[in-house]
Amino acid sequence: MILRRLLPGLALALLAFLGAGLLGPGELVVLNNVVVLALFAVATNLLLGTTGLVSFGQACFYGVGGYTVAIAWYQHWAGFWVSACLAPFIGGFVAFLVGMLVLRSRRWFFALLTMAFSQLFFTIAQKAYDITQGDSGIFGAMVPDWMADPRGGSLFIVAVATISILLLWLIDRSPLGLTLRAIRDNQRRVAGLGVNTYAVQLLAFTLSGAFCAIAGVLTVVNQQAAYPGMLDWVQSGDPVLVSVIGGMYSFLGPVVGALIYQLGHDVIVRITTRWQLALGLVLLAVVLLFPDGLAGLFRAEAWQALANRVLRRRPA
Amino acid sequence: MTAILQADELVKSFGPFNAVDGASLQVEERSIHALIGPNGAGKTTLFYLLAGYIKPTAGRVRFNGVDITGLSPNAVARRGMVCAFQITHVFPRMTVAENVTCAVLARHRAQHRFWAPISAAIRREADELLHSVGLTALAGQRAGTLSHGDQRVLEVALALATSPSMLLLDEPTAGMSPVETERTVALVRRLAQERALTVLLVEHDVNVVFSISDRVTVLHQGRVLREGPPAEIRKDPAVIEVYLGEAA
Repeated sequence: MILRRLLPGLALALLAFLGAGLLGPGELVVLNNVVVLALFAVATNLLLGTTGLVSFGQACFYGVGGYTVAIAWYQHWAGFWVSACLAPFIGGFVAFLVGMLVLRSRRWFFALLTMAFSQLFFTIAQKAYDITQGDSGIFGAMVPDWMADPRGGSLFIVAVATISILLLWLIDRSPLGLTLRAIRDNQRRVAGLGVNTYAVQLLAFTLSGAFCAIAGVLTVVNQQAAYPGMLDWVQSGDPVLVSVIGGMYSFLGPVVGALIYQLGHDVIVRITTRWQLALGLVLLAVVLLFPDGLAGLFRAEAWQALANRVLRRRPA
Repeated sequence: MTAILQADELVKSFGPFNAVDGASLQVEERSIHALIGPNGAGKTTLFYLLAGYIKPTAGRVRFNGVDITGLSPNAVARRGMVCAFQITHVFPRMTVAENVTCAVLARHRAQHRFWAPISAAIRREADELLHSVGLTALAGQRAGTLSHGDQRVLEVALALATSPSMLLLDEPTAGMSPVETERTVALVRRLAQERALTVLLVEHDVNVVFSISDRVTVLHQGRVLREGPPAEIRKDPAVIEVYLGEAA
């Protein structure tokens, strides 16, 4: 039973491992981008699809994770393993502090405040030149040699991302995951059951931040650099778009979305410079035709719902 | 008999208008108490005041002898008084079983656990609860797809999952067919008996009120007009004039 639920995810993980073992250096970069984006999106979707919180600030924690490794190396504070293991805790702690403030607001105000925090961290990274090297970012041999090798790095990225996504899946199925979905459906009612919904949401925000930080660490492994753009709110938009395209109400939706988004991007930029236009069209198509995302294409009920909508039938 | 819930001189103003205007109420332990009155009498406002969803402008609410005035709904619920709402407030995208499981988790204060799966004991408790309200057959269905009557029953199951000593029901039979109404009345009576509950219900259907309740409070223009056993209330000239009218 539980194995059957795990099967699609395990198949994807196996494919990623095969890819990391067999692909050439050029393709490995693409694979790494997909895998990192997938983890970033699944972590963001803990808020978006599971809790119903639209955060445009997850790049904060993603960037904090990346900068933890880069700054620790650049300032000679700590080696890779120490900083990489600390990164999720620092990312989670920052998310806890930010969450305490932003979770006091609702809906649009929440989205705008998360965006504002993203910009705040972006500006700090730009201005604190002595620590972060400002706009130019931190480049260099900050990861162990075997990880700087494309194949070693790719295997590391796939392994860490797989474990992280598995942990997020366990969280999704835990008592917390169930309570978060209940809050998404009807927050007032959950409060009526005697639950402090603010505290539960804060916990989700903290966990999401910690896993976003892990995605940030993997980006540093992938690119051997940390730069202010990692903290930009535009960067925060990616995992949200990916989740919407893939399907935010199914656990693997964001993974499917990351695959389509990154591969689509890489194919389309070869044909035309108007990548944003193509992205817009895909988003429109998804939102209008498959509001539950492209992961829904694997389920018969999504096609049924589409047929009902097109033919203007009332659902059976 | 002792009063489990006591409201003293509650006032709730919306601008210059007092929706509840000095209402006092005592609910005896283990009784079924009905709150009736014409439209706009302040029944629903009073209900929300008691449950903590809105804060009174003046007055006190005591539950089990403790002052709970101004506490939030979750704090009130933790003290053992929970609501089931008129507008159904279930979790539509989740299955019936998940709905109840969520409420059971809340009672065990386990809603924040992310490091372990949902335990077998909690699943079993949720199953038993579904069985006792008769929803076992629908456990795997999404709550949003249930009939109105079944959603109201699920709503009651959610309230019961927190193992309350007192249940507040806002028009439990509103919008139900006669068959569903009868079933719901029987269910509320049986659950109150089995679980030693005190029940306070706001209700429009006078037949339901007189068949189910031990005591009735009649509200009119934000104040208590009469309080007493159903047989007296039914014959009271003042109540007949403002509410029951010719029909009763």
